[in-house]
Amino acid sequence: MSFELHVWGPALGRDSIDAECLAAIAAFRRIFPPSIGLWLQATIPLSAQIVSFKGSLLIVSAFPRLIIIIIITDTLPALFHSGSWTSGYTNIISYLEWNATSCAERLSDNDLTPQQDADLLAYSSYLSTRGSGLIALSLYASPNAWVELTRPAYSALLPFPLTWTIPTTIRAAAIEKAESLGMGYIAAEAEADEAAAQGTAETTSTGFLRLREQLGPRKSMQPEQAAAIRFQQLADDFFTTLDELRGTEKYLLRTSTPSSLDFLAYGYLELMQVQTPFPILARSLVANGRPCAQFLQAMRAQSQDYVLPWKEPAPRRLPRTMLAFADGAIESIAGAGESWRRWRRGGIEKEEGRQAQSLTPALVSVGSVVVGLAAAGAALILRGIPSFGAATHRFEAPKEEKGLHRFGEIGAMLDVLPIFDQPPTPSSSI
Amino acid sequence: MARLGVVDEKQVGTGNCYSIPSFTMSHTTEATRARPRSQESSGWFTIPAPLAQLFKKFPLLTYPPNELPCRSPGLRDTPTLYVFISDEDALKDLPSFNPSCLKWQTFLKLAGVDFRVRPSNNHASPTGALPFLLPPYTPSDSKSQRPVPSNKLEQYALNNGKAELPKSLGTKLDAYESLLDHGIRNAWLYTLYLSPANLGLLTQLYIAPTTSSPPVRATILYQLRHAAESEILKSTSRDAIIPTYLYHEAREAFRALNTVLADEEWFFGSRTPGLFDATVFSYTHLILHDELPWGNRRMNDILSEFPRLVNHRNRIFQRCWLAST
Repeated sequence: MSFELHVWGPALGRDSIDAECLAAIAAFRRIFPPSIGLWLQATIPLSAQIVSFKGSLLIVSAFPRLIIIIIITDTLPALFHSGSWTSGYTNIISYLEWNATSCAERLSDNDLTPQQDADLLAYSSYLSTRGSGLIALSLYASPNAWVELTRPAYSALLPFPLTWTIPTTIRAAAIEKAESLGMGYIAAEAEADEAAAQGTAETTSTGFLRLREQLGPRKSMQPEQAAAIRFQQLADDFFTTLDELRGTEKYLLRTSTPSSLDFLAYGYLELMQVQTPFPILARSLVANGRPCAQFLQAMRAQSQDYVLPWKEPAPRRLPRTMLAFADGAIESIAGAGESWRRWRRGGIEKEEGRQAQSLTPALVSVGSVVVGLAAAGAALILRGIPSFGAATHRFEAPKEEKGLHRFGEIGAMLDVLPIFDQPPTPSSSI
Repeated sequence: MARLGVVDEKQVGTGNCYSIPSFTMSHTTEATRARPRSQESSGWFTIPAPLAQLFKKFPLLTYPPNELPCRSPGLRDTPTLYVFISDEDALKDLPSFNPSCLKWQTFLKLAGVDFRVRPSNNHASPTGALPFLLPPYTPSDSKSQRPVPSNKLEQYALNNGKAELPKSLGTKLDAYESLLDHGIRNAWLYTLYLSPANLGLLTQLYIAPTTSSPPVRATILYQLRHAAESEILKSTSRDAIIPTYLYHEAREAFRALNTVLADEEWFFGSRTPGLFDATVFSYTHLILHDELPWGNRRMNDILSEFPRLVNHRNRIFQRCWLAST
């Protein structure tokens, strides 16, 4: 039975646009010699395929040291083997350790000392939190990089209407990660700038001429430049941490063969080297002959050994794409999107593995009441709106004025008085 | 009326204040008599004599001033740390029940800062999150009572502490910190906020002290759970919360911490405990604390597998809370 690795497709000159996918590809190149049947499939997240995976959990084998857990969620990279799915880089490596004999031989993960094992766990966690935070900053939160690089890359990877929903969801998640580094304001500033750029009215709301804004150094800088010092500091700290772990050895845990941590670090470093419009991360990586850059070169040279068989995803049928699009569109509705996502993707599981008693029925009833009210309100408003093409202003011919109304307001006041017909003047009788 | 004002000022100037009302009264009655029509309108603004007599009887009784509540800042010569804690525990200077508050409370104690704890809540904090510290008041410096938020507490402790703290422990610390901030914190959030078995404990700690109104309590419970859920989802980058997975991650994280502590007294071979020890303690102490009525004891069971961490927690508790009493 062949292994199928599902990853995000190639972009930005790399094998994949996602760091963990890059790591998984590199690890697979190491683990599987070219003769083994292996398919690599460029794909988009399973959630977009409307495969109804509820988060379910399967304990494969209880081993004294480690319980291998296979989790089916819609995260990439995902491995398909023997009819079951595994997702996430760490879970895939754990799965392979027990299901692919070559894994144990070619990775050093099973021969580590307890201290190295602890380091492997701690640094994997560090990479997937701090490392992914830095990538989120440089490729997603940074407005210039998003507009010029990342968004076009996703547009090339995804079929048409999905380019409207999936990239924005990914970016929103990335901005949250940047916020955990205390730098979420990079993205927020850009939005404020856009709003200011649109309001080019020459007068203020009170009718006075708007004075030209004084552009101080802070105002004239791009958001990335304003955040550069702190960003640079975070990047330097990150690379120094990795350098000190590796010392002068070839691999991070100072082993003779690479461990899963080396490939994970490679995946993150590869994306950090992307030349963005403000390449703070890339510049910090190559500055001063940093050992990290040499490590990246060495890992890259190793992983170019052979080309993995690559399968393009089958063309998707329109209805499924549209369903995925509708799903993404509903998710992005303010207020309702989150409840929808919880309902569709599972929310919180009970500890025994069963679905927790959820608020689904209550949510559905509340939701239907809200939708019903909204529909009724919309219908009322629609009935109030003049039909399309109807005149918006109506001018009526002034009524013919009679009696004392001819004399304007004073006439109207005197209108209560009885009107006597004018007696014929003597001149007219002549 | 202008003349009246002048006379009033003179009266006030002589310090004969109590006579102002009666003088004003007699003056106006005279004025109404002397100038019949033109000045009569001023009569509308004066108080009739019987009413004035009645008003003079008030206040009938003056209560003594209320005493300040015990949690209000009393002594201003000691720094005060505002944390999540019950009133009784604050008076006894016991540990807070919130991990991030306990972390800084422990660290300040380890650093030898002399301070008091006071109960508070997030709404009181200038940053929107506890803890924060109010430095002692010095009359010469108007900025002396500017609150110190939690991200500046480390520097504050270094400047004001008497005890020796470990110097830089290397970059390994950053990596292991991410285990605490993600693996262990996620399992903690799930256990306390989302696990149905711990509803009683959650109510006792965070909801009951705020209000007794059932609808408000339900709202606060929903908000707390929602916040915890979104924190976990953000940290795990997944769409669903799977408790078995969270506990698995927490166990692995504890295993790694247990290994890196080895047989040393403090983390990373330091001679004295530091901020990292305080952070580990903030979770291990609360998980192992017997007085908290945990309904779901899963974290307790997991942590009990690692005796080095349990001993580490006991050492810190001994040093910070038992040694002083």
